[in-house]
Amino acid sequence: MAKAFKSGIKGITGYLEPAERELLRSLFDDVVSMLEPEERANQDPLAALVGLDSEAREPSDRALRRLLPNVSKNDAAASLEFRRYTERSLRESKIGALKAASLGLDKDELVLSPADARHWSMALNDVRLVLAERLDIRDDEDAGHVHLMQDWSQAEDVESYLALVYNFTTWLQESLVQAMLQSLDTRG
Amino acid sequence: MTLSVALGPDTQESTQTGTVTSTDVLTAPDIPWNLVIWNDPVNLMSYVAYVFRSYFGYSEAKANKLMLEVHKKGRSIVAHGSKEQVEQHAVAMHGYGLWATVEKATGGGDGSGSGKGKGKRG
Repeated sequence: MAKAFKSGIKGITGYLEPAERELLRSLFDDVVSMLEPEERANQDPLAALVGLDSEAREPSDRALRRLLPNVSKNDAAASLEFRRYTERSLRESKIGALKAASLGLDKDELVLSPADARHWSMALNDVRLVLAERLDIRDDEDAGHVHLMQDWSQAEDVESYLALVYNFTTWLQESLVQAMLQSLDTRG
Repeated sequence: MTLSVALGPDTQESTQTGTVTSTDVLTAPDIPWNLVIWNDPVNLMSYVAYVFRSYFGYSEAKANKLMLEVHKKGRSIVAHGSKEQVEQHAVAMHGYGLWATVEKATGGGDGSGSGKGKGKRG
């Protein structure tokens, strides 16, 4: 069983079983592959280098739309223009956090610096956002139903398995954030 | 969707930008913009409060108050500034996985127009 993250002298420490590490690694990798921008044949390499993407559009996949949301509630044109300037670098920063967290899984001991902890919390959050879309969590009531699923022996189909994975990542993120808040407090 | 949270009187108390000046002459680029955070059933309350504290440098009390406002009212204006400033914040919030949008602080609906210069801030 994983242990909750703790804030201490060394930084934030945690413990995960090998199977839990494998699970997280595959979740991080899945979200990375969702976020990787598709290469287009006619792409302007210079524009790509500075983060411009004149072809960017609102994603059709709901989970991806949640990871890369519109910046304006009512102005689709403004959202699209903003997306063209910022979406590529947003994708890259998310991928960076997910890959950093994934790399951290290779070490025997989980000891997180403040930057590591931030990457981990972002990576876990993005994983949870994607799982929540797959589980159709639309409101607090839906979230409550999913939360009831705590027993791995109940995992009998994809949905119950996803719910268990969602609850595990929720628990892990909550313990990490509590440790991060504690270290914010002690740093003053 | 409720329209209840127009412009809270207290959302500007601790942004210490030091660049806000008296707004006797309010030209178009000076019209403030709001950064709005929306509620969702996934983001942890602790995480949202952590982001408000660590990214904006808000006190624990202020971060928790804004987080609860998001949770209970569905949205909260957590920062404001020029369009460029709030857009930059929005990208950062999207990086953290929070659902953020930007909107003009004035005009439309029953807008209380509290973005207009009422003396000095900051």
